[in-house]
Amino acid sequence: MKLGGYEVKLEKKLKVTGWEAAIISILAILVALALVSLIFLQAGVNPLVGYKAIFSYAFANLFGLPLTINRSVFILLCTCAFIVPMRAGLWNIGMAGQLYAGALGAFAVALAFGAKGSQGMNLAPAIVIPSMMVGAVLGGGLIGAIPGFLKGRLNTNEIVVTMMLNSIAFWLVSYMIKEGGPFMGGGGEGEGYKLPQSIYAPLILGGPFTIPIALGLAGLLHFMFARTKTGYQIKAYGLSPSAARYAGISAYNVPLLVFLIGGIVSGLAGYHYFAALPGVFKITRNYGDLGDLSFYGIICGLISQGNPLAAIPIALLFGGLTNGGRFVQGQLKIGFGIDYALLGVLMITLVAFQFFYRHSIVWHKSRRES
Amino acid sequence: MPQNAVKRGDTVLEVRGITKRFPGIIANDDIDFDIKAGEIHAILGENGAGKTTLMKILFGLHQPDEGGIYVHGEKVNFRSPLDAIHLGIGMVHQNRRLIPAHTVIENIVLGHPRAGTILDLKRTGEEISELCDRYGFKVDLKAKVWQLSEGEKQVVEILKALYRGAKILILDEPTSALAPPETKKLLASIKIMTGDELAVVPFITHKLPIVLTISDRVTVLRRGKVTAHLKTADATENSLAQEMVGREVIFRLERVEVEKGKPILQVENLSGLNDKGALALRGVSFSVHEGEILGIAGVSGNGQQVLAEVLAGLRRALGGNVFLDRINITHCSALQRWLKGMGYIPSDRIDVGSIGDYSLAENVFMNYYFDDEFSKWGIVDSIKVRRLTEELISEYGVVAPGSDTTAKSLSGGNLQKLILARVLSRKPRLLIANLPTQGLDVGATEFVQNKLLEAKKERAGILLISEDLDEILSLSDRVAPIYEGEFMGIIPVEQAKREDIGAMMAGLKPQVART
Repeated sequence: MKLGGYEVKLEKKLKVTGWEAAIISILAILVALALVSLIFLQAGVNPLVGYKAIFSYAFANLFGLPLTINRSVFILLCTCAFIVPMRAGLWNIGMAGQLYAGALGAFAVALAFGAKGSQGMNLAPAIVIPSMMVGAVLGGGLIGAIPGFLKGRLNTNEIVVTMMLNSIAFWLVSYMIKEGGPFMGGGGEGEGYKLPQSIYAPLILGGPFTIPIALGLAGLLHFMFARTKTGYQIKAYGLSPSAARYAGISAYNVPLLVFLIGGIVSGLAGYHYFAALPGVFKITRNYGDLGDLSFYGIICGLISQGNPLAAIPIALLFGGLTNGGRFVQGQLKIGFGIDYALLGVLMITLVAFQFFYRHSIVWHKSRRES
Repeated sequence: MPQNAVKRGDTVLEVRGITKRFPGIIANDDIDFDIKAGEIHAILGENGAGKTTLMKILFGLHQPDEGGIYVHGEKVNFRSPLDAIHLGIGMVHQNRRLIPAHTVIENIVLGHPRAGTILDLKRTGEEISELCDRYGFKVDLKAKVWQLSEGEKQVVEILKALYRGAKILILDEPTSALAPPETKKLLASIKIMTGDELAVVPFITHKLPIVLTISDRVTVLRRGKVTAHLKTADATENSLAQEMVGREVIFRLERVEVEKGKPILQVENLSGLNDKGALALRGVSFSVHEGEILGIAGVSGNGQQVLAEVLAGLRRALGGNVFLDRINITHCSALQRWLKGMGYIPSDRIDVGSIGDYSLAENVFMNYYFDDEFSKWGIVDSIKVRRLTEELISEYGVVAPGSDTTAKSLSGGNLQKLILARVLSRKPRLLIANLPTQGLDVGATEFVQNKLLEAKKERAGILLISEDLDEILSLSDRVAPIYEGEFMGIIPVEQAKREDIGAMMAGLKPQVART
């Protein structure tokens, strides 16, 4: 293509460094913000004011920042739950169901310890809290393992199975917390029972202890993919199932393993949100919204290209924008879901800019053809 | 069009100074040649010599950066294959582009400008049979394509091009999928077909005898450049090979005589299904001994692939037994077979034998990840893996910048060397080599074959599956021609006559049963 005196050409790129990827992502974010400013303008709001409000609430506000972090950790866990099967070339669309099952597992364990009694009852946190986490891991892992097992043995489509399980788990939660279900709370408002104060999750630096766990998990998964035999086998299966089979990598075990890990991590996301966040400590009436939020894990996973460490800043951004966007909408009286609009445009630009992972634009002064 | 006036010996196509660059390489560098009517002009070159690019330029799929093509003396500019077709250039692809469930006529008429909404198959049929008579082809036009042999399918492809009015026919590896008797038949009909007015341009990679029997002139390419224009009458197999490779090539391999040891692999009445669920392997029994190469000769699609995969544990056996060192491994997984000392070189080196996005070190690790020596507590000792890879790279002469390069950046020959290095470095007791030299250039072929002989010297038992009869005869100790999933016999190589084996590959049982 010719532009003025310059010849502009697309060239294929073989490798992209971490820095280039980061710069490309930041450019994509800037473009998305620029596009959404048109929406702000159309709504009669100065975009600079709008963005200032969003970002200051999300990242520099005493009330907003903790909410952002808690949300982001939830999204990060869902992203990791998506990434592990993704590296094996499989699609986990079942984070919602897995996190419901994890929450059910955790609250079932608490119930077994008699936690449904009064708010003031005294339970030993050192025993009950770890047990609840085990419950969450078992619940999430169990429901997560199903699509993996079926994939390995019968080659069923994991997308269909995980989506169906989402529905099953959704209604199971509904059954458990509503209208006389075993987990029903005292208020009769269609909510789960509230945990006693004694087993509220301990705080570290003001945040629930699940935050460092989630960050550690992301680091651990990164290490698994970068350095271990298990990670090697999962990636081999994902890059080329037939080559993996040739090398003797089990076509049964890899799908089972990745979905088991995915389910466990989602289960922890369920524990994090319902059993560890200050002010929650119960399966809330609007638990379905959390299922919806878990789908951001797919987008974050795709944008981070399966890298659990790269997923951390992306999850933080998404958590902050949903949080800030919703706040600003009320504050500036914008009549529509600016958070969804912003996230939607952001997804598109981030994915579109991945084009530059593989191509670069070069230009030079065009010469006269001889 | 001026084609009607063409006489034998007229120059119909000229290529002058064609250059085509791709990022990092010059695929075609100042190529010149001319094609005459009534002539078969072979273009010979190894993989990577620039044949494919040249072919695509002649057929309008690529545009040259410099230079030009002249048809009947006029400079032409192909923007797409349609332009080439209009000027009478036809292309017969290596991979058949026919619809198996349709008849020959239907396939020939497909894509023809006259095939609009209403087909007049009767008239078309008459025209095609006229064409057949004129060029001396015998094909049943009403037959469905799936009923045809590979050679007949090739003829259909040629007819298709002729029916579209081609006077200059480009043939891409015309005999690559054919058994020897069919090859002979096809070459004969191409000769007759060429007659006075057609010009035929076969592109051939390494089948030198075919070049010598069929062509009138040869143009040899090496690394994108023309290295020789020869009259076939003046050429020999050795001179052609030398032009192609750029050095002298030893065609005779040193046969290694190794004392035959005890049987390593014993196979009893083994059968298996192919991907479509059809019985593709019908009860074969054989054994492979220490220090022995058993060659399985066959045209592709006769059950070799199924046999190799069942033996490697990648496909379930339908019936029968497999013993490795007297242990029944019929139901063992692929991993257990690797651990028991089996090594497998798959025919598909890109999708099965390697992982393109993995580095060379990670590709070598494919056969070592289960080895405790290379990992501790599940953590990979990547330094050790890299060191092993670098050793293998230098020992096997793999041309690569280092062990961090991705496998997809290697050429076919280098990739095969890497796979071979990786498998042989495990010192397998039994090696299954499925089409180990397919698509490799002369130099790499020679290298791979010598490595197989070296493994034999180290007392490995080798099952060599190949479609190249010369390779089978020069490497194997015993030869088993396979046809439709059955062995047509197992013959010691001293008693194996080329013609007999060729006939058996085409399904003829030997008159006298020999073992």
